[in-house]
Amino acid sequence: MKNRLRELRAAKEWSQLDLAEKLGVSRQTINAIETEKYDPSLPLAFKVAWLFKLPIEEIFEHDGK
Amino acid sequence: MCKARLTSDKYALHSSVMNSKPALPEEVEPGRDYSFRKDMRVNGWSWAAVLTSFVGEVFLLPHHKDWPTALRAVIALVPLIFSLLWVRSVMQWIRGMDELQRRITTAAAVFATVTTLFVIAASHLLVIAGVFPARFQVTAGFIIIWLVVCFYLFGRGIFNRRYQ
Repeated sequence: MKNRLRELRAAKEWSQLDLAEKLGVSRQTINAIETEKYDPSLPLAFKVAWLFKLPIEEIFEHDGK
Repeated sequence: MCKARLTSDKYALHSSVMNSKPALPEEVEPGRDYSFRKDMRVNGWSWAAVLTSFVGEVFLLPHHKDWPTALRAVIALVPLIFSLLWVRSVMQWIRGMDELQRRITTAAAVFATVTTLFVIAASHLLVIAGVFPARFQVTAGFIIIWLVVCFYLFGRGIFNRRYQ
């Protein structure tokens, strides 16, 4: 699944650790999502969407695999 | 009213999680982030299990066969109780992790458990086959616990690399 997490985080000038603390997850989880090695669960994806105040489909995009 | 409820639900969804720090596996592993206090909270019962198993198997049970059966049974079962308490504290620790760490740790724990079972079975068969002397058969509780820990650390190394 593709996502815009890195871009959105950079726009807010947050580090991976900052975002991880805001979401209550580890920095490794943020890194794994950004590098598309891990797809977040639905609750975590909703939390990300809520944090950036964007609809979930504007952050995460299914790549058709 | 609907809006108020939605806001309230949002608050409930995020406030409890977002400010809480997830449990990190690195806190109980050798390395920069190691915390002795955290390690004892998670693995303290395993040390009790190893110690009581070692004392029972090496010093007490083989040398005191004249002791009452009930007492010998208690000595034999005490490590099992500590092991169950260890499993309980590990489960609580895993529940406190975030979803990725939980996935990695659970995979490593399953890998460690299954691999240890294979090692026990293999050692038993190798002794029966006469390849190894009987003393190489893995039956001692304290050795089994150490095997689980070693295979867990090995498994975590493997599964962790996938997400780095």
